[in-house]
Amino acid sequence: MSPISFEELAVGYEFPATSYELSQPLIAQYLEAVGGQQYFLTSGVVPPLAIAAYAMTALSQSFSVPPGSIHASQEFEFLKLVPIGSTVSCGGKIVQKVQRGRLHLVVLEINALNQDEEKVLSGKATIAVPI
Amino acid sequence: MNQKRKLSDIHPGDSLPSVVKHITQEEINLYAEASGDFNPIHIDESFAAQTPLGGTIAHGMLILAYMSEMMTKAFGESWLSGGKLSVRFKAPARPKDTITTSGKIDSVEHKEGVPYVNCSLESRNQKGETVITGGAVVKLQPIP
Repeated sequence: MSPISFEELAVGYEFPATSYELSQPLIAQYLEAVGGQQYFLTSGVVPPLAIAAYAMTALSQSFSVPPGSIHASQEFEFLKLVPIGSTVSCGGKIVQKVQRGRLHLVVLEINALNQDEEKVLSGKATIAVPI
Repeated sequence: MNQKRKLSDIHPGDSLPSVVKHITQEEINLYAEASGDFNPIHIDESFAAQTPLGGTIAHGMLILAYMSEMMTKAFGESWLSGGKLSVRFKAPARPKDTITTSGKIDSVEHKEGVPYVNCSLESRNQKGETVITGGAVVKLQPIP
């Protein structure tokens, strides 16, 4: 499915659910990028910010964010431990889109569920998009 | 990893174990590869130079990972399955910046018999400028 344009994004738009596997190699690569926290590999638990990062990336692939867009604020709630190797499905929707000066502020809600459909993470991101 | 933390070990005013990281463009590129976030503001120096930011910046989620590292060190599993984070990105973190993430325990409150720890958090660069500010709440897991 081709990404929808930023202009087409409206309040209430629901992102198509996307699944991704939090495999051991993926988490090892994530931990290398964030510089440490190797204890996650020995404990077999996914770092919660990794779940969040992949959920954000998965959602952002379904719409085209104009270059130069940046993160303005972020909320996350981590609800359950996620073992490495789990498959997580994430979804979200646009809850606000307003213009402030030369920026659009877009607020999206994010949820991630484990294989048993239990919510493991929820959050809200505000993205500032240059006009 | 600290598995769980006892309520008796937690006191308002206590500092959390700070995390200090030096940011390089190579690390930003590595994070882009790992996360799949290839926004050119992070990785394309010529593009970023033409924007009001004047150069590449680190992913906000990378700096948040440092904040989560600090919270994991402080609270272990209680953070991983009972943590809540709310932050604002105040200024960009740039290549060659040294980012110090710190925090303190503000209060402990009980809701229906469950203790919740309220913390204030911030990340600053080497000039003392606030990069991220916010708060966290940790629901303490019972220790059997």
